[in-house]
Amino acid sequence: MSNVVLEKVSRNFGKFSAVSGVDLRVNEGEFVTLLGPSGCGKTTTLRMVAGLEQNTGGRISIGDRVVSDAERGLFVPAERRALGMVFQSYAIWPHMTVFDNVAYPLRVRRTPRPDIRARVLEALRLVEMGDYADRPAPALSGGQQQRVAIARALVFEPALLLLDEPLSNLDARLRAQMGAEFRALQKRLQITSLYVTHDQEEAMALSDRIVVMQAGRVLQIGTPEEIYQRPLSQAVATFFGSPNLLPATVVACARLGESQFELSVRGSGWAGVCRAREAAVKDATVLVMVRPENIRLVDRASRDTGGSIILSGRVIDSSFHGARRSVTIDVGGSLMKADLPAMAPLSELVTLNIDERTAWALAS
Amino acid sequence: MERSWQEKAECANPARSFASAKPTGAEKFCARPSLIELAENLYPQQVNMAISADERVEDPGRVPFAAGLRARLRVLEGTAASRTAGVALLVVILAFLSIYPLSMLLYGSLHSTPPGMAGVFNLDGYQAVLTRQNLVMLLNTVGISLAKTFPSLVIAVLLAWILARTDTPFRGALEVLVTLPFFIPPILTAMAWGMLGNPQVGLLNQLYQWATGSSNSPINVYSYGGVIWHMMQYSIPFMFLLIVDAFRAMDPSLEEAARMCGASRWRTFRTVTLLLILPALSSAAILSFIRGIENFESPLFFGSPAGIRVITTDIYDSINQRSPPQYQYATAVSFVIMALLLLIVLLQWKLLRGRNFTTVSGKGYSPTVMKLGKWRWATFAFCVLFFAVTVVLPVGQLLIGSFFKFFGFYQWDMLTLEHYRAVFGSSEFWRGFGNTMLLGLAGASLTMVLGGVVAYISVRTKWRGRMLIDVMAWLPWMMPGIVLGVGFLWGFALLPHAIPIYGTIWALLLAYISLGTPLSVQVMSSAYSQLSYDIEECSRVHGASWLQTMRHIMIALAWPSFAVGWVLVFFGIMRELSASVLLYSVGSEVLSVVLLKLWTNGNAEQVSVIGLMMIVLVVLFRWVQLKVIKARISTL
Ligand SMILES: Nc1ncnc2c1ncn2[C@@H]1O[C@H](COP(=O)(O)OP(=O)(O)OP(=O)(O)O)[C@@H](O)[C@H]1O
Ligand SMILES: [Mg+2]
Repeated sequence: MSNVVLEKVSRNFGKFSAVSGVDLRVNEGEFVTLLGPSGCGKTTTLRMVAGLEQNTGGRISIGDRVVSDAERGLFVPAERRALGMVFQSYAIWPHMTVFDNVAYPLRVRRTPRPDIRARVLEALRLVEMGDYADRPAPALSGGQQQRVAIARALVFEPALLLLDEPLSNLDARLRAQMGAEFRALQKRLQITSLYVTHDQEEAMALSDRIVVMQAGRVLQIGTPEEIYQRPLSQAVATFFGSPNLLPATVVACARLGESQFELSVRGSGWAGVCRAREAAVKDATVLVMVRPENIRLVDRASRDTGGSIILSGRVIDSSFHGARRSVTIDVGGSLMKADLPAMAPLSELVTLNIDERTAWALAS
Repeated sequence: MERSWQEKAECANPARSFASAKPTGAEKFCARPSLIELAENLYPQQVNMAISADERVEDPGRVPFAAGLRARLRVLEGTAASRTAGVALLVVILAFLSIYPLSMLLYGSLHSTPPGMAGVFNLDGYQAVLTRQNLVMLLNTVGISLAKTFPSLVIAVLLAWILARTDTPFRGALEVLVTLPFFIPPILTAMAWGMLGNPQVGLLNQLYQWATGSSNSPINVYSYGGVIWHMMQYSIPFMFLLIVDAFRAMDPSLEEAARMCGASRWRTFRTVTLLLILPALSSAAILSFIRGIENFESPLFFGSPAGIRVITTDIYDSINQRSPPQYQYATAVSFVIMALLLLIVLLQWKLLRGRNFTTVSGKGYSPTVMKLGKWRWATFAFCVLFFAVTVVLPVGQLLIGSFFKFFGFYQWDMLTLEHYRAVFGSSEFWRGFGNTMLLGLAGASLTMVLGGVVAYISVRTKWRGRMLIDVMAWLPWMMPGIVLGVGFLWGFALLPHAIPIYGTIWALLLAYISLGTPLSVQVMSSAYSQLSYDIEECSRVHGASWLQTMRHIMIALAWPSFAVGWVLVFFGIMRELSASVLLYSVGSEVLSVVLLKLWTNGNAEQVSVIGLMMIVLVVLFRWVQLKVIKARISTL
């Protein structure tokens, strides 16, 4: 099976440790994204899987084969790992035609000639570049080069596809379109993919699971929903959007299910219920994460919708964004951001309602 | 379509994928490399138009050999031992080409007699260097080089600005013309100017006398002025070539920003343009200054007759003109010039460190072109004038000289073809021609291969020993031709008889390779460093071995630079005089030596004929080179 396993993988450049102790398991057919701020070691991790960089610690296996083991000094070079890779710069060889670029992985593997032609044309058709086979590679637009790079990476049906920010050189619209197309292709062909990006929206839209990295370490691994709604730490929470973090004290704690707890908390001027991953003792301080889009405006009259958090405050700023209106509200001295429906009637004094299922407590 | 891919996806189990990375039975169907594929890498478009990918016919007879060789190579490249062996071999070759002659020089400067003869170690050589006369010589060397560098720089900047940043007509053609003098062997123009500016019978003086009726000769090339003037003809196009791209590739928004801030054109040029290209200017000036110090032809032809001594001619004279030859003194002086050059290089590093503004980015900027109005014909005329003075005049002199019976007596009844007959009938000319061509072809090819390997290792690998390789390949740069010639002279003489290099054409070949290596390394380094790592790594990830990657990607992409470097090295070999004149012997003369001998014998007429032949060659090669550059620009 073509699952990829990273065990305690690290990479030091001299004294500097670019990646340290990464544990990751990518299942067959899964689309996993490495996400994190610039310089956090995403590319380095990907390159270690590719065999372009040697890990200084830990073990990497692809399928059932260990391809790199720092302790045993084992290292399979890139060309023996049978992977496909799409580079950020696409790395389309400028001295070849589109056909030759895509045919390259087959030619170096000495595939019979008629086979090459058939498979290259099929790969090109798959990325809708069938008509461009005889074009010289430099005469392509960015999006077309990207398609060719994908075709080249897919043409010999690799066990694993690696992609390093393949969309970052494209403009916003093309990025969304190519991303969706690629995801559809990936699902259809069931290619195990390891994808690198620093764009959170791209990561969430495309991935089965996301690996959030920071300073060479993994902060959290999980599905996009999990990571967005139930982050492990403040760092992960703030990495996606700009959530409101309300300091609060725990009043009571009840178990809901496996790693799912319900906390009653009290903040400054409000009280309510929220969810958490871990149990908390009474009087512990937590930060309650509330995403701006989960805040609703309610009538003063219908105050007690049991279980929810109710806050009231004064609107101090509001800006129109088309589909929604971004509002800054002063709640007892601290500022909260809320994304409200654009047409919602707004008075100066507002009452806010937060569903307990969307309020998430983090250890502070 | 969908279904077939899903099927494939299902059966693409890893076992199969890994197996496919190894040679399979299928490989006998596609032997590589075929000539067609090789050609295809060289000329991607043309070949593909003619032959589509599946119509290629293979020669089945070659298969087992190719496959066997490939297997063996794959085994070889895999082992760290073979890499170490390769690096060690390279180190030995480079050491023989640079460290060996250098250590011979050191030995020679400390030993009272040439190597191999009985003698004592002493410092007499260095003592002999420390004289008042030699201080004058040192000042001459530095002063002449400084005096030619600054005016050349001004003219080169002017030319670069005219051709890169103004709307002067025919800029493309002018650029070719203006750079041509750089490629003409200096010995030719030296001889031509010797005839043009001869104080007694020089054509220019004759014209002056004819025009004014006076009898004095205002022009005498055998003077400081003559030496400097001759050097400038090379420095100007040399610096132009080094700086013109900086002018051309500058991001126009940097200048536009200054204009938007209210600066005038001139002020913008002064405060932005010039300052941005200052690093390029200063490194060009320093390089030109170094070449001025290493220069041999100009002081030999115009300085020595007037008693103007510089270091290079002093080394030459103390070996060739004095008897017995003063080897110890010559080698001691060699170290003086090398120390001088080292000093300049260190100064350059200090000066230019961290000052390399990258105004040149990958983007294809089209810099703003200044509209000159009527003045554009003035700038046009300036370029044409430069070409006329540096090329048309000397070549014209050679042309005239070749058709008249005696140099200096230009009357109708003196017209003759006898010099052509004499030259083409002379076995010495043909031997020299043959040697020059042979050495040029072999020398340029070997030098570029060596430079390509060194550059690859130092730019694109992290192999141990790459610093050593880099430094050794760079060392000959510190050694002017004449100095390297002395070092090799002894180095070859000392070799055991089983290695007969001394006095053969091999001696010249090795010296040329050594002299050309720094240039070839530089050309190939910049070619490699322009190729992104992705392009190489992408090939590895997709299953190509190191050798395959080299062949299909790196060599295929770097070959235009290889070709350009090849022609440059070839030019270098064709013009080389100072080392050749020390290392040749009967039978291994090259054209420049033949020319020098004829000139010393006073046979200016045959010199003109041979000179013209060489100029034809130069123009031919330059034309090919420009074609190559153009082809590269249109493919990449
Ligand atoms: N060859 C190297 N030598 C030294 N340090 C390196 C090397 N390669 C990477 N690093 C360092 O390792 C860290 C991680 O680099 P990496 O390229 O993996 O970041 P990244 O997450 O891909 O960032 P980005 O989003 O900007 O591409 C960086 O701090 C970088 O400076
Ligand atoms: Mg990166």
